[in-house]
Amino acid sequence: MKQIEQFEELTELRKKRVNRRNFLVGAGTAGAATVLAGCSSNAASPVAPIVPATPAYSDNDLLNFALNLEYLEAEFYLYAATGSGLTSADTGGTGTGGATNTGGASLKVTGLTTAQQNILNEIAYDEQSHVRFLRSALGSAAVAKPALDLTFFAPLAVAAGVPGATATGATAFSPFTSFNTFLLGAFIFEDVGVTAYHGAAPLITAAGVKAGLLGAAAGILAVEAYHAAYARTTLTAISIAAGDPTLINTANLISTLRATLGGGNEKPLTFPNANIATTASAPASPVYASSIVAADSNALAFARNTDQVHHIVYGSATVGVSKGGFFPNGTNSIFSTTTT
Amino acid sequence: MASTETKVLDEIIASRRAMILGGSALAGLLLTKQAKAAATVTSYTDADVLNFALNLEYLEANFYYLAAFGTTIDVANAASTAVGAPVITLSATVGTKGTVAHKANPQVPFTLEAVAAYAVETAIEEAKHVAFLTGALGSAAVAQPQIDLTGGASYPATAAWNTLATAAGVAGGVFDPFASDAFFLLGAYVFEDVGVTAYHGAAPLLTNIANVSPAAGILAVEAYHAGLIRTTLNAIDTDGSLAGITNSISMLRSTLSLAANGGKNLAGGTTPDDFGIMPQTVNLGGTSAQATQLVDADANVLAFARNTTQVLNIVTGGGATTAGTKATGVFFPAGLNGLFS
Repeated sequence: MKQIEQFEELTELRKKRVNRRNFLVGAGTAGAATVLAGCSSNAASPVAPIVPATPAYSDNDLLNFALNLEYLEAEFYLYAATGSGLTSADTGGTGTGGATNTGGASLKVTGLTTAQQNILNEIAYDEQSHVRFLRSALGSAAVAKPALDLTFFAPLAVAAGVPGATATGATAFSPFTSFNTFLLGAFIFEDVGVTAYHGAAPLITAAGVKAGLLGAAAGILAVEAYHAAYARTTLTAISIAAGDPTLINTANLISTLRATLGGGNEKPLTFPNANIATTASAPASPVYASSIVAADSNALAFARNTDQVHHIVYGSATVGVSKGGFFPNGTNSIFSTTTT
Repeated sequence: MASTETKVLDEIIASRRAMILGGSALAGLLLTKQAKAAATVTSYTDADVLNFALNLEYLEANFYYLAAFGTTIDVANAASTAVGAPVITLSATVGTKGTVAHKANPQVPFTLEAVAAYAVETAIEEAKHVAFLTGALGSAAVAQPQIDLTGGASYPATAAWNTLATAAGVAGGVFDPFASDAFFLLGAYVFEDVGVTAYHGAAPLLTNIANVSPAAGILAVEAYHAGLIRTTLNAIDTDGSLAGITNSISMLRSTLSLAANGGKNLAGGTTPDDFGIMPQTVNLGGTSAQATQLVDADANVLAFARNTTQVLNIVTGGGATTAGTKATGVFFPAGLNGLFS
């Protein structure tokens, strides 16, 4: 019942989704207004830090917010790579812990080449390491892994309007069925991880910066961007090699849904028609750029606040939403209930 | 027995200490040159940090423009105009303005459509970084320094890429990144992970919190680029030879980086701060597994950070090991412009 409601809400959202061009223009304008502060007398007004609506928060709250996202990513990749999730040593803590709903079937992606399997292994390891790093840094303040739902990809795909995708049954979208669908699953998470860390980094207190937390957050931000680039590059490369933009088009439907839920902050993939110009003076035909990097008009990566990230992982744009989507009981975070 | 938590804290403290020490060394360098500024020990501003980054962006943007379009960032041609690539006006005047040395017809004869498209995208993004930083720094922006991007059999051993190739033990001491898809990717590989470590090291040095977000935004884009390059090299590497070359490049970078920091990485250890795309063995929930190495990161899988001296030593091929002397060499034959040079 709950899933049906969620599905209906998402479908409604898709119908109402903002015009793509409008939001791109909006993002561009915001980006153009971004100016480094205090560098010269020419500098215009400084960038307003992205502040979540929750008034009082500590550095630990920011780290725990990130830890919730890392739990989700680590579970996704570990299940995809090995068929098992995080071990119990990596999941305990404060707040309400919960199980991960796998839908009953083994989620290990089968039919992979060795090269593909090795890539899944690496990303699973990277995210497992981030869970462990954050838990170590937080010590006894670390939150437990909340209940997670890895079957939410199906209603998400329906809401995004993926052709032929159903909410349940044999044609339900699952990122665990093939390498290509896995890439789409990875695509869903990684750009969000980048925007979340980017949004959170400037919120770290001066004491936290001194203690090395900003450096650590920036280090994880970079790794999430490496992963996002992997997913976007491989989706693009497969499409170009096949001469078929279907995979890119599907990813872009997801990107559009994320934009609707997460305040814009998206750049769709492109299917470059790179008829290669071998001479500078007379290109055979225009060479179009790929769109591996998700960034604004100044080529700065996007940032999202904690509410925008929650709207995406909950699959709901409703103000005040506190759970749903990948987090059926909400995140273990003081930011878990959205206020904007 | 140290708990994991204690160890992490120790690492954080060590990393911070290294950064502070790095800062002092730089301050010392500055004091040698400007004795009257003795009262200000950490006398650098956000603008100095960002100008350091701008030097690197000039280098990267020109590299990609030459590869994608066959022209430098300040001159439009048919190829750059066709895709709407911006033309960068080199109006900044702080420091000594230089030119870009490169071979004739540097546009890469791409055979892989995807790689050509990546080159075009990256060129445009790096040019936007130049435009963004110069615009934000305004009259404080440093000029484009003298840049050397020559290399290959028709250039002497002292040409930038040849020097690097010799030091890395690559390709018989000559290297031309504009020769092919694979060579272009290797050339890009030389820059991108360095950009990540430079912005990562610089972010915590910024004093104005409003500058952290844009710097983190550029950091993320450099990491997207690095991920793109590593992913693509891994995908086209049929026999492991490209992985081997990336390892040589990474080892060289690590050697230069540690040499500029008293034999240590920025976290205070002596382990390398750079890895190529050679396969690695990882532990997944207690089980060991083979994995790729598409992310260049430390044991906690946090990207590496480097201080300005370490980065300087890499991009000048070892020119920054003598404190107080302007670092010159390889890509920057006349050194960088700005305080951190």
